[in-house]
Amino acid sequence: MKVATNRREFLKKMALLSAMTTAATMFPGILFAEDQVAGLEGLDNLEWKKSPCRFCGVGCGVLIGTQNGKAVAVKGDPASPVNKGLCCVKGYHSIMALYGKDRLTKPLVKKNGTFVETSMKEALDLIASKMSSTIKDHGKDSVAIYGSGQWTIPDGYTASKFFKGCIGTNNVEANARLCMSSAVTGFMSSFGIDEPMGCYDDIDYADVFVLWGNNMSEMHPVLFSRILDQRQKRGVKIIDFATRTTRTSMAADKSIIFNPQTDLAVANAICYELINKGRVNESFVSKHCVFKKGETEMGYGLEDNYAFNDKPALIDFEEFKNFLEDYTPEKVSKYSGVSVKDIKYMAAYYGNPNTKVMSLWCMGPNQHTRGTWMNNLIYNIHLLTGKISTPGNSPFSLTGQPSACGTVREVGTLTHKLPHGVVMNEEHRKFAAEIWGVPAENISPKPTYHTVEMFRALDRGDIRFMWIQVTNPMVTMPKLKRYRDATEKKDRFIVVSDVYPTPTTEIADVILPSAMWIEREGMYGNSERRTQHFEKMLTPPGDAMSDTWQLVEVARRMGFEKQFNYKEESHIEEIYNEYRKHHAGKKHNMAPYEVLKENPGMQWPYVDGKSTKWRFNEKYDPACKEGSEFDFYGNPDGKAVIWQRPYEAPPEMPDEEYPYWLCTGRVVEHWHTGSMTRRIPVLHQAMPHAYVELNPEDAKRLNIATGDLVKLTTRRGEITVPAAINLRGVPEPMQVFVPFFDEHMLINELTLDAFCPISKQPDYKKCAVKVEKA
Amino acid sequence: MKRIWIIIFFSVLFVAFIIVWNKSYWSGLEESYVSVEKEKPHSYLPIDRGVFSGSERGLRYEEMPYDEAHQRSLETYYDNRAYDGAPPSIPHPVKEERSMGSVTCLQCHKSGGFVSKFDAYAPITPHPEMINCRQCHVTKNTEALFVKTEFIKKEHASVGNNNALPGSPPVVPHHIQMRENCLSCHAGPAAPAEIRVTHPQRENCMQCHVLKMQEVTDREMNTTKFSLP
Repeated sequence: MKVATNRREFLKKMALLSAMTTAATMFPGILFAEDQVAGLEGLDNLEWKKSPCRFCGVGCGVLIGTQNGKAVAVKGDPASPVNKGLCCVKGYHSIMALYGKDRLTKPLVKKNGTFVETSMKEALDLIASKMSSTIKDHGKDSVAIYGSGQWTIPDGYTASKFFKGCIGTNNVEANARLCMSSAVTGFMSSFGIDEPMGCYDDIDYADVFVLWGNNMSEMHPVLFSRILDQRQKRGVKIIDFATRTTRTSMAADKSIIFNPQTDLAVANAICYELINKGRVNESFVSKHCVFKKGETEMGYGLEDNYAFNDKPALIDFEEFKNFLEDYTPEKVSKYSGVSVKDIKYMAAYYGNPNTKVMSLWCMGPNQHTRGTWMNNLIYNIHLLTGKISTPGNSPFSLTGQPSACGTVREVGTLTHKLPHGVVMNEEHRKFAAEIWGVPAENISPKPTYHTVEMFRALDRGDIRFMWIQVTNPMVTMPKLKRYRDATEKKDRFIVVSDVYPTPTTEIADVILPSAMWIEREGMYGNSERRTQHFEKMLTPPGDAMSDTWQLVEVARRMGFEKQFNYKEESHIEEIYNEYRKHHAGKKHNMAPYEVLKENPGMQWPYVDGKSTKWRFNEKYDPACKEGSEFDFYGNPDGKAVIWQRPYEAPPEMPDEEYPYWLCTGRVVEHWHTGSMTRRIPVLHQAMPHAYVELNPEDAKRLNIATGDLVKLTTRRGEITVPAAINLRGVPEPMQVFVPFFDEHMLINELTLDAFCPISKQPDYKKCAVKVEKA
Repeated sequence: MKRIWIIIFFSVLFVAFIIVWNKSYWSGLEESYVSVEKEKPHSYLPIDRGVFSGSERGLRYEEMPYDEAHQRSLETYYDNRAYDGAPPSIPHPVKEERSMGSVTCLQCHKSGGFVSKFDAYAPITPHPEMINCRQCHVTKNTEALFVKTEFIKKEHASVGNNNALPGSPPVVPHHIQMRENCLSCHAGPAAPAEIRVTHPQRENCMQCHVLKMQEVTDREMNTTKFSLP
């Protein structure tokens, strides 16, 4: 279409254009557009509706285009304050995860080793009768539910009410135990109340970003883009503090590499440096903080029935100062691999009273055998400098699942939790029982098993029935073999609710097809305390049913009709309104259902029609005491705790037989175990399988090139994976990295089930491995 | 009388001096501390904010001859996208797997030009300010699928049927999120032949070409009121 415009044609075109322009100005614009469109064909039934994204904890707002009853397109929601219209590759292609050809549409029951199709009614009857008989034969604590941070708020709430309130067992856990329970115990021990004080808007105010073991460029790309945007506009600094060189390190202004586990020491060294250089905000610390120390040498939970309770003791500033004498930058530099200069460099930014610092972290400090300590230590730095709860001064703990905060942490689907408070507290039990419509004695005052111990109990036979919803533990459990063997033992009954066949559905006795994401109504809660609603936009395929309704159906069959007397067409609204009652009050009020429907999410505490962006700061948070300036009201004295937490070695370190460190993690293309993202053609074709990253020097010595098969062996097992040298990431010498998304190369056969004694969260980032060319 | 005025005048000056001096003295003693800033209201930008970016290239494009041997077709343009409006994947090998994109991508995709290695003109990105390119654009390393898909995509807009009246300016048949800068796809040597604009020198595209209403929501058009948090 070559355009040879001569003068005459040009004039003609000009005339035509100006005529049209005149027409456009004479008619009101919108009317003109509609008139034009009226004559056009197609797309008449294309509709766009808002939802939070299905995948990570950032909670981007997306607009889903539906047409003829199918989701056909996605765009970012420009009205969402989270992502302001931008998504990542997973978000843009998220709807394709609904349409994998092997979608589960019928309930399946295992008979003589093969799965047989059945009706939903029969499957639910079977589950209810099996649960009842297990309780009769083995007691209440022999049945368990294992959910996830992908549960919607109503899913988790129904599960908690059913198991804790009605059946009376605290066997309620979720996979979020594996990803953010250290963040929870970090918040609880430092502030007495869970979840970040700040919000994503801190990014627009902060001058320096310190990423603690967080490959944000791949794992939280939309937030990372918000930081990059600020760097272009205001020249902020990004410091990547990590054990491996990644896209984030390449994008950062400064990349600092440390040896595994020594982040504990470096954080203490920063505190030492702050005190030594007189950078402590003394008035803040004296008014709003206390110092405490806890137990040390707690162990690693490697043995069954391991128990630990921290014993906090008050100390004074002098004692804290003396403790830090062991952590001078010079001493720490020797074993952390971080130079004295780099430690002082970070301390200088934290210490400068005119610099606003945001610390961001996710699995690095959380999946850590001293995860709670690591979270405490980051808060220490922010508390000592008073850089907290003000715009731009923010220690910010990120999450990895869409509702790890909304469901697991806020609804409280962990063994010790209730929606408001903990099971150990009588007041809290009474409060929950009243809303649930059950006798207070129904709720057991004793927490039972955390996730790892729950699977160990299944192995031992203490648990006989387990219902697994929206998660894939047969890919994600550490030391996988023991727990897979446990599920296959005699007299174990496993129900799995999922949308696709996975290694977890393989071990099931009953598979229930679930309705996914926008095939049902629900809410997610993201990392910045934002609760977001999505409506039912599509009809679920076949017999697929929402996890909430599956639970309601089984609960009713077990005689709890009164407690689960919801109407099918409005049950999500009813459940949410009931749930809100648990959180009434200025400290945790949730936005009303109608407000959530209208808006791109609201942040709790939602008080007087307003979200609270910065908690604990009197200027922003109505729950603060008047005149307090800062009020850490989670603790009875209104003060935050600065913890004395030492460096301790991990349970397994490289030795002669297993000389390498093994770290596991994710890639930008795949989310969690890949059961959804691998069914999205674009994402699978970009990242078809797992790999092992080696340092180029090690690879050269072992004569391994990219694509060569490598055998990895630990004390738990072995797998063979192709090598990737100098590609997505580069580990330090004598370290390797493997992503965990690939169900055909299960890296968790190799990982160690050691966990943080306080949070019970396993460490997937450190164990000893042998590397050989296969 | 005059003297009284002079005395009053000087005593006022003196008092003022004391107040000013005091204030600066005391504020000098204050601990330096980061003050709390006022909240910025959440502002989202109008949907057509990017229309004029890159329009300075319009005049150049007008004079540029077309290289017919190397022009793209609409078909190959769409092949690269999962559905109408999806971010395109990267159809060529990349130099640096550990880079988020940025300069590596922008050296060709910022202003375009002929790349002899791929025997093609580099398409120009409509959003060069977003530098975490590989957050949305991924490479293709296999043709195989994990599992077949039953996804039905939103059909790509077609050419030639977007005019309401004969000769009236066609509406914009696709949404323009992340591609508000029209010229990056509709002009220049990398533009698909079918959608190349005849008048790249005219900058205010949306003066005549309006958005098809089904392609946008009220939320984006900024016509609904939110009680923003």
